[in-house]
Amino acid sequence: MKNLRLFSLELRRLFQSPLALSIIFFTMVSPLAGLIFYKPADADTMLTAYLANPSIAGGAAGGILFGILTVFELDRASRSRTDVLLDAAVSSQSMAAIRLLSLTAAALMTAAAAMAVWFPITRGQIGTVFDGTDYLLSYLLFMGLSLPLGALAGASAYQFTQRADLALVLFAAFAGLSLTVWSDNWQLCWLNPCVWALSDDFSNFRIFRSVAYMRLTWLAALAGLWTLSWMCVRQYGKGIFGSFLRSARRIYRPVIALALLLCSGTAYAAQPLVDHSNPDETVFTFGELEYLEGVVCTGRTAQVFPNLTDGTVTGLASYQFQNTSGQAQKAAFAVTPGYRISSVQINGEEAPFVLGDYQEYNEAMLEVELPAEEAAEVTVEYGGFPQENRNSSAMQGGREISEEYLCLENASLAPRLMNVLPDEKLYPAVIEITLPDSMTVIPFGTGEAEIVSEQEDGTSTWRYEDNGTGGILYAGDYIREDIEAGGITVEFYYGRKHQEVMEEAGAAEAVKAVIDYCTEHYGTLSFGAGGRLKLIESRVVGGGYATEGASLLDEADFTAANLEDGGKGAAAGEVMIHELVHQWWGLGNMFDSSDETSSWSAEGLTVYTTYRIVKELYGEEYAREYYTDQWKQAVDDYYLNFYVRNPEYLDKLPEEKRLEISNSLSYVRQYCEMPLKILKAEELAGGEEAMDEILQKLFNRELDPAYPYLTYEDFLDACGLTEEELNLDENI
Amino acid sequence: MEIKIENVSMTYPSGKQALKELNLDLGSPSLIGLLGPNGAGKSTLMKLLSAALMPASGSIYVDGHPLSKMERTLKAQLGYLPQDFGLFDELTVTQFLDYMAALKGLRRPKNAIREVIRQVNLEEKAKARIRTLSGGQRQRVGIAQAMLGNPSFLIFDEPTVGLDPEERIHFRNLFSHAAQERLVLLSTHIIEDVQSVCDQIVVIHQGSILFSGTPAQMIQAAEGHVGVFWEQEAAWEEGLHITARVNTSQGIRCRAVAKELPSFVQPEEPSLEDAYLYLISGEVAQ
Repeated sequence: MKNLRLFSLELRRLFQSPLALSIIFFTMVSPLAGLIFYKPADADTMLTAYLANPSIAGGAAGGILFGILTVFELDRASRSRTDVLLDAAVSSQSMAAIRLLSLTAAALMTAAAAMAVWFPITRGQIGTVFDGTDYLLSYLLFMGLSLPLGALAGASAYQFTQRADLALVLFAAFAGLSLTVWSDNWQLCWLNPCVWALSDDFSNFRIFRSVAYMRLTWLAALAGLWTLSWMCVRQYGKGIFGSFLRSARRIYRPVIALALLLCSGTAYAAQPLVDHSNPDETVFTFGELEYLEGVVCTGRTAQVFPNLTDGTVTGLASYQFQNTSGQAQKAAFAVTPGYRISSVQINGEEAPFVLGDYQEYNEAMLEVELPAEEAAEVTVEYGGFPQENRNSSAMQGGREISEEYLCLENASLAPRLMNVLPDEKLYPAVIEITLPDSMTVIPFGTGEAEIVSEQEDGTSTWRYEDNGTGGILYAGDYIREDIEAGGITVEFYYGRKHQEVMEEAGAAEAVKAVIDYCTEHYGTLSFGAGGRLKLIESRVVGGGYATEGASLLDEADFTAANLEDGGKGAAAGEVMIHELVHQWWGLGNMFDSSDETSSWSAEGLTVYTTYRIVKELYGEEYAREYYTDQWKQAVDDYYLNFYVRNPEYLDKLPEEKRLEISNSLSYVRQYCEMPLKILKAEELAGGEEAMDEILQKLFNRELDPAYPYLTYEDFLDACGLTEEELNLDENI
Repeated sequence: MEIKIENVSMTYPSGKQALKELNLDLGSPSLIGLLGPNGAGKSTLMKLLSAALMPASGSIYVDGHPLSKMERTLKAQLGYLPQDFGLFDELTVTQFLDYMAALKGLRRPKNAIREVIRQVNLEEKAKARIRTLSGGQRQRVGIAQAMLGNPSFLIFDEPTVGLDPEERIHFRNLFSHAAQERLVLLSTHIIEDVQSVCDQIVVIHQGSILFSGTPAQMIQAAEGHVGVFWEQEAAWEEGLHITARVNTSQGIRCRAVAKELPSFVQPEEPSLEDAYLYLISGEVAQ
């Protein structure tokens, strides 16, 4: 009761301190830094830009500010000599504990206030894809918990040293480590969590789990450290060791401190979220396994049951083998780290198995000995939390499993056969997955999923057939639109949260326009199969990819901010066209990774094609006004730019400023200068029809496996032009 | 409350020995004046009694129990005004006393706060921020916080520093009133304060107790050792500790203490200050 009253009075006193009030104010406005200059998360989604970055910035600044406040507040009593009065009434240790509690409470109240203040601003910036749960969890985990961690660290530093200057140096070093050396280590960056993206359309629980785990690990570590430092709070005129030894007489104190440190150490070492894949990614031993002689796989089935609450998966996979070798042989399966194998049966009998510790490319190896019998059915029961590859641990979030979204790839769907060849039917597979009714299942490929049963608990079981050792499956709260275009049926899937944006941008019309135009002018997409093509909007992955029958579109392409990018199109619908044109110019091995000094990239041909489609849709005048005239103006300005005329000064600028300017110049070269050059090439080559013919040939060219990319030289050769001929005049 | 100090020695980490084998009994009700020159060990003794320090050797008993086991009980009954203290400047006087009341575990402290504010004459400043107070007013806040909650053991270290004479008299009376039912330990350099209110005096010098008894006993011990003389008639001044020199029209009139008074010194009735100086000077001479 006494301590409770003291806590409330200490808190009231804190809120009357000008320093505390200043720090609370600056902490509350610090998310602004995430909108202006501190942007650790670099994905192009709205939630990344307007929620992740501000809340991370708020956490980093708030953690530092509250650490400093804690040092000053703990030192204030001794600085002002108030401590002699306080110590006469209450032990200095009790006061230290009460002060920490009040500072922690002030920190949490500040975070809550920041959350309330930024709510309408963030909601307005993010627009229709705003999500209350994401907002709450971001501010709680990215910002909120950073503040008490800062207070704990500051208090520990002060209690050990009992000097404000030394404590501030220690705290600055600790914060500096997080912001520099540890910034890419998801477990160590206590101040600035490793978050590269938040999805707008789908959930983000996997990355929130990761940050929460990191925060709790540090909370235990710093609580343990604080307890040790608390035992060092000077008392009875003794020094650090004398005070510690006297305090340690109550044995539960060091025991608690050590237990907390042990908990933290164990949590660090035994973290369940990231695997232990070989960091040397040049090693590929699993890929070099030799196929078994005389053994083929004739088919497989899998029943998969994701638990959408805890993000785990359980499953039962069966594999049919024909063994004509007459001897027992070891079949190897790739299993996602984090999964445990609960049983393996061969022809209905329990069989021994070995799940290796060695991991590579996010896979571990399960070995099962096949009997010498000709037919064997191996059934594997597996389940667990699918871990992500530690070599990309700073970019966690891909293994999202929730009621809004899941993506199960290859071994995370079911154990993947590694060393057994298929028979002539190419690993025929039947996959069943049970999910809530609200989710739509989309096999990535030619397979079509259908509901085979609906349960009373609100779940449905979907089944689809596939070919291959692995397979990718998407499921989520998707809207499906079937669009007839270019002689095929396009199944266009996008997240329900994005419905308003997609409809406003005329996504379906854009899909039809692009596919009709590009198919007619350049040819059909090689991955369209059986007259059908799935276009699937995926959770943010940092790019798209395609396979036979399906192509992935990164949700970042369809954010409101991207759809307003004037460089890609004059209106949202035209940006949509731009992103879809990338299906022809930009997927897979079409272009080598972009060189920022070159104007040749996927963007040049994509912008040019967008212009051609827009010209066809809205007329020449519209296309000239919103495309070619804009390009010319931008290129005119480009050549007048001080740093273009005097590039030597660019190198003299600070790194951040230099990058900002060079990125902006590179943008003009790729999005404006190159389309103009292609337009000039079109004129020199004989007009639009001639250019269409050239591009059709380039699109359907025979690829050189050693270097399959389309180069500027390829383009110039196809046009019969030289680089100099496409040089633009200073006054275009 | 009964406090027994047995063979207490205290040595600071710097090596300085502040107290040597100290033995002392304190019991309430009593107002005990603690006298001694700077660095004698008075503040150390008070820190030991407020459990801010632990003795290097020896024991302190509170009501028959070792202080180390009675720390919480002692702190709950203690009012302490240190010599050098600070206050939370951003709080008002009432808020600060409310804070201290919470530290002391007082329930419903409003009346107690109002009472101590009245006792220290700070009613007009009750709602003023502490940063706006004068030095004397801050000292009064310090006294008020010590007296908050009627503690049964009060320790005042130089409480009247910074107060004007009228205030000093007010507080002397306040301490005297408080000592009617409590144990009050008053450390001061102002002998007049001690003489006016203390029923017992302890003189500490170089970490040891030189004297412990009533003011009358202390004065009695100095009888025959205090006298006056004209400076121009003095044959020598060696062995004399001059305590006053007054310029008069007839010459300089001196007051002195000495172990043995020479013939040119006319004996006088000693004051408490003379007695204190006699004690200290004797010790210095040794």
